[in-house]
Amino acid sequence: MKKLALAVALAFAAGGALAQEKTIKIAGFGAKSGVVRSFGVNSEAAMLAAAEVINKQGGVKLADGSKAKIAVEFLDDRCNAEEGISVIRRIAGTDALVAIGPTCSNVAEPLFGILQKKVDNKGDSGLQFPVFTDVAIKVGLAKISEWAFRNVPNEMTMYNSVFYWLHQKYPDLKTVYGGVEEDFAHSRATWHLVMKDRAKASGFAVAGESKWLLADTNFATQVREMKKANADIVAISAHPFTTCGVLKEMQRQGVKPKLLVGLTSSSSLETLQGCAKQAQGMIIPSSFAPVNKEAKFAAEQTAKKKGAADLHSMAAWENMFILKQVMESEKIAGTRASVQADRRKIRDGLAKLNTTQGLLGVSKRDAEGEADKPYLFVQAKGNDWVVLHNPL
Amino acid sequence: MLDILQAVSDGVLFGATYALIGIGFTLVFGVMHKLNLSYAAASVGSAYAGLLVLEVMAGAPAWLVFLCAFAAGGALGYAVYLTCFHFIPLRSPLATLMATVGMLLLIDEVIVHATNGMPQAYPAIFDDVMLRAGAFTLRGDLLLVFGVAVLCMIALMVLLYRTRLGLATRAVSQQSVAAQLCGIRVGQVNAMTFVITGLLGGIAGALIGASVGALSPLLTTPLTVKGLIVTVIGGLGSIPGAIVAGLLVGGFENVLQHFRGVTERDLYVMLLLFAFLVFRPDGLFATKGGRD
Repeated sequence: MKKLALAVALAFAAGGALAQEKTIKIAGFGAKSGVVRSFGVNSEAAMLAAAEVINKQGGVKLADGSKAKIAVEFLDDRCNAEEGISVIRRIAGTDALVAIGPTCSNVAEPLFGILQKKVDNKGDSGLQFPVFTDVAIKVGLAKISEWAFRNVPNEMTMYNSVFYWLHQKYPDLKTVYGGVEEDFAHSRATWHLVMKDRAKASGFAVAGESKWLLADTNFATQVREMKKANADIVAISAHPFTTCGVLKEMQRQGVKPKLLVGLTSSSSLETLQGCAKQAQGMIIPSSFAPVNKEAKFAAEQTAKKKGAADLHSMAAWENMFILKQVMESEKIAGTRASVQADRRKIRDGLAKLNTTQGLLGVSKRDAEGEADKPYLFVQAKGNDWVVLHNPL
Repeated sequence: MLDILQAVSDGVLFGATYALIGIGFTLVFGVMHKLNLSYAAASVGSAYAGLLVLEVMAGAPAWLVFLCAFAAGGALGYAVYLTCFHFIPLRSPLATLMATVGMLLLIDEVIVHATNGMPQAYPAIFDDVMLRAGAFTLRGDLLLVFGVAVLCMIALMVLLYRTRLGLATRAVSQQSVAAQLCGIRVGQVNAMTFVITGLLGGIAGALIGASVGALSPLLTTPLTVKGLIVTVIGGLGSIPGAIVAGLLVGGFENVLQHFRGVTERDLYVMLLLFAFLVFRPDGLFATKGGRD
């Protein structure tokens, strides 16, 4: 009888302890439907995996010295601007302290626009909620709001480095021809604002450019133009589906440039699944490759959650650990009453960061909330992306 | 000059894929006077279903993948008939139209969820065949698509004008009440029409997948739009019209792309559609008479 009473008492005590276990909610959002669903699926998997690792280590230390576990909730914005804005408003209405997302730059740009532009500006009624972007990569978006931060690779630096390296390594190559998916914010901006400019700056002549749309399937005319230009390097700023379409058409028409350069987002399984044979040799700068213990561990943990590790999803993983560090250093209270104050502390903490620890090393952070992440060059070989060169 | 000729021929050949989709749209419209907006999505869905063969039997030959797509097309066609037409009052055109829009979105999302939206490599046929005459080239795989589109047209014409099923189909298309009074089972004929267009959709999806070399959910919306444009320009209900209009639209858009660039291309295709709607609303080959 005494044993039974003791067991009941212990059960109640354990139940009470469980009821008191604190949780901190981090919201994720991105595309989980539509053609870019894989990005959302991978980000969610990486966030869940990182939260599990953090929670196993005890969780996040709060201001009162207690520990809180991280709970992740991921919402679908369908890569649609209106949907993204609605999702972030919904998240801000919950007790989530910070959000990681979105997937698409065409969502990030207007979404950052509804956040308060300048902190403490009483005349600005914008949303006061910190957003820490993992995927949307179009250059220079975080400066839109002081509540927006990004941990995405700096394409300007990366492509500058790619073209500089190519110019040094292959001095005989003189010309670059661009192929661009014209109706997608990221690919368009990357060719017109980054690749073209960086290629010229490294001493290459731009021999021309061909344009197509995200859903196009016929590239005969564009590749014919490419063939006429007969450039040494073809740089394709497009997502995997059309990248593969163009590469197949190039093969058909016998267009064989000496080198192929691709868009950061194409250094994924999708490209190899669609056209590994035609993509052989393609060089892409990437802020992730499983080249060290930490990176391999992150990739394995994400795979357990049914996600793939790439430069985008691993940014979500990194963001979780950066946020843990910020929440601890800023001493958030983690209570219901302190939600808005904690959000502000997280924002201020993110703004203070000059460097962060990432999977490939230390990332620098600038005053506009952007990251300058370590990167390397990967190349399509067989059915894999292998590290070609580490410029750092 | 050669560039323009090449642009026209590239576009016309690629237009064969639009023609294949247009035939399906037009056949259902011809028989039931209803639009099945999920047709292109179902065609692409059938092609995806064909890939299941490769899941079960790695390295399976391309013809087996196409055969599976063909069969899946028929099954999907019947499923579309049951869900969007059979149980919905046909007197309400908006109800069936919206049901097919729902089905389009459903098929699209099922594909997205099954594949995470990632493009799937599709077995190619005659992918490396290029007919050359100097600098002028023609793609072998698109010539095959063109040939199949013509064969489908001939087969459908034979079916419609040389078989009892075709006779019943035409009877239902012209006067369903009279057809019913003559003992024709209208529901069965309508269901058969969907199965036949579904089988055709399976062929179309597989050939489009083979010519693109990959399948993606990105294919469904453009194919739906182009298929509808082709159906209207060809003449609602006209099978030869769908083929001619498919080739016309393909050639037209490629020439406009050549001269005006890709960002303006679809603008001119839409203008072409408006021009037809204003000056020749019955399309190129309007069917004479019809259901009264």
